Amino acid sequence: MMIQIEPDTDIPIYTQLTNQIIEGIARGHIKPGDSLPSVRSFAADLGVNMHTVNKSYHELEKKGIIQIVPKSGAVIIKHEGIDDVTYQKLKEDVKPHIAEAMVFGMTEEDIQQLVKSIIVELKEKN
Amino acid sequence: MSVSLVISAVIILFLVIVQTVVPYLVKRTVVFGVTIPEQYLRDTKLTQYKKQYSIFTIVVGLIALAAYIGWAANNQLTEEQIIIVGTFIEFGIIIISLSLYFYFHGKIKQLKQVNKWTENLKQVKVTDLSIRSQDEMLPWFVFLLPMIITIGLMIYTIMNYHLLPDLIPTHWGPTGEPDAFTAKTPFTAVQMPGMLLLMQIMFIFVHIGTKKSGIKLSATNALASKRRQLGMRKYSSWLLFFVSFAVTIMFSYFQLSTIHPNLFEGTSLQLIIPFGFLALVLIATIIFSIKVGRSDKEIEPIIEGDITDIDEDRYWKGGLWYFNKNDPSIFVEKRFGIGYTLNFANPLGYLIVLVPLVIILLVSFFLN
Repeated sequence: MMIQIEPDTDIPIYTQLTNQIIEGIARGHIKPGDSLPSVRSFAADLGVNMHTVNKSYHELEKKGIIQIVPKSGAVIIKHEGIDDVTYQKLKEDVKPHIAEAMVFGMTEEDIQQLVKSIIVELKEKN
Repeated sequence: MSVSLVISAVIILFLVIVQTVVPYLVKRTVVFGVTIPEQYLRDTKLTQYKKQYSIFTIVVGLIALAAYIGWAANNQLTEEQIIIVGTFIEFGIIIISLSLYFYFHGKIKQLKQVNKWTENLKQVKVTDLSIRSQDEMLPWFVFLLPMIITIGLMIYTIMNYHLLPDLIPTHWGPTGEPDAFTAKTPFTAVQMPGMLLLMQIMFIFVHIGTKKSGIKLSATNALASKRRQLGMRKYSSWLLFFVSFAVTIMFSYFQLSTIHPNLFEGTSLQLIIPFGFLALVLIATIIFSIKVGRSDKEIEPIIEGDITDIDEDRYWKGGLWYFNKNDPSIFVEKRFGIGYTLNFANPLGYLIVLVPLVIILLVSFFLN
């Protein structure tokens, strides 16, 4: 899977990496059980600091998306369903965005439409 | 014609050709050390500069070569004089092409700024998560093979210490005849294979360093850059292995002929070894350069949106020396030439390249 980052934006590089890896899993480009490249080679291939990649991997580990196994590296964890804690956390994360949408005058239907279109986009094969 | 003249002339010719074609074999998005977005690569000014550089280099180089051969053929000269002047001409050609490089580097930098080539493009960095599984570099342990030969050679030398002459050759002329000697001691007896071993250790570290360094892909032509990067890694590891083996054979030949002076007497090896080594290494280098140099020129780019690769010119001092503290790579692709150069901001690189060289130089200057 191709990873593309923009170093000159306000979004920190490690966040861009985290988001793209998560999106890659959602799209099915990366599958549970696959391992991510080693921190050193990933950083070298992108020409970014190793701390940046390390930070992203730790963030993914904290979220419970990858497991860092000594020697085999970062492996994508398989998930069957969502647990309460993660559900609550996701809810907290999404809430400000929904609120923002409402502030701009979006209706419930508009927001549902938005969510649907994002899901369609993620399921698109490319 | 003397042997020295032939060798010098071949090296000069090789150098002239290499310097002439360099602009056409470097990474496609770098022109005289300046990053140019894929969208503007066909600019007529750029193609014009490349042509001017090449024509000037080849004309000057061939004139120098002709003058050199004419001078050497019409005068009674020692082999040494011929080699020294040849070396000066080689350096002269490098200096001339480097000056031309800097001239065009400056011009293109200005051109890029005036035309605002990067202004309206979004600068990105890309990589492929599965790129590492497509890497076909040789495994590092094959480099142990020539080392085993060297260690065997050292043991053999020690076992046959009594056979060695009182004066051990340390340098060989162009015809393969020894022309400098040192007194026989247990140290000087294995000095040459020892240096060979050191060189082979350096090769292993260069290989591992390259393997750990980044595979840099281009956002606007991922396919072409992938082919070039993977090809360069694969073929450079083959080339390094080949050179390691060739050097081992040559050193073994010299060491064995010191122990057994009559071993190769009258055989064709006497002629083949020094010449053959030079010829094979030059040919291998040419094949490598052309293979890698052409690998990213045949694929047309597919540019999606207004993007370009991140402008890394700020990390390239003079367009030639790479200093990037953030990049953990030890070696990166050269910007003017084919092959690798050091990331000078990474201390590991100095360690790999400089330490063995310093040891070899120290040994040859102070212990003899």
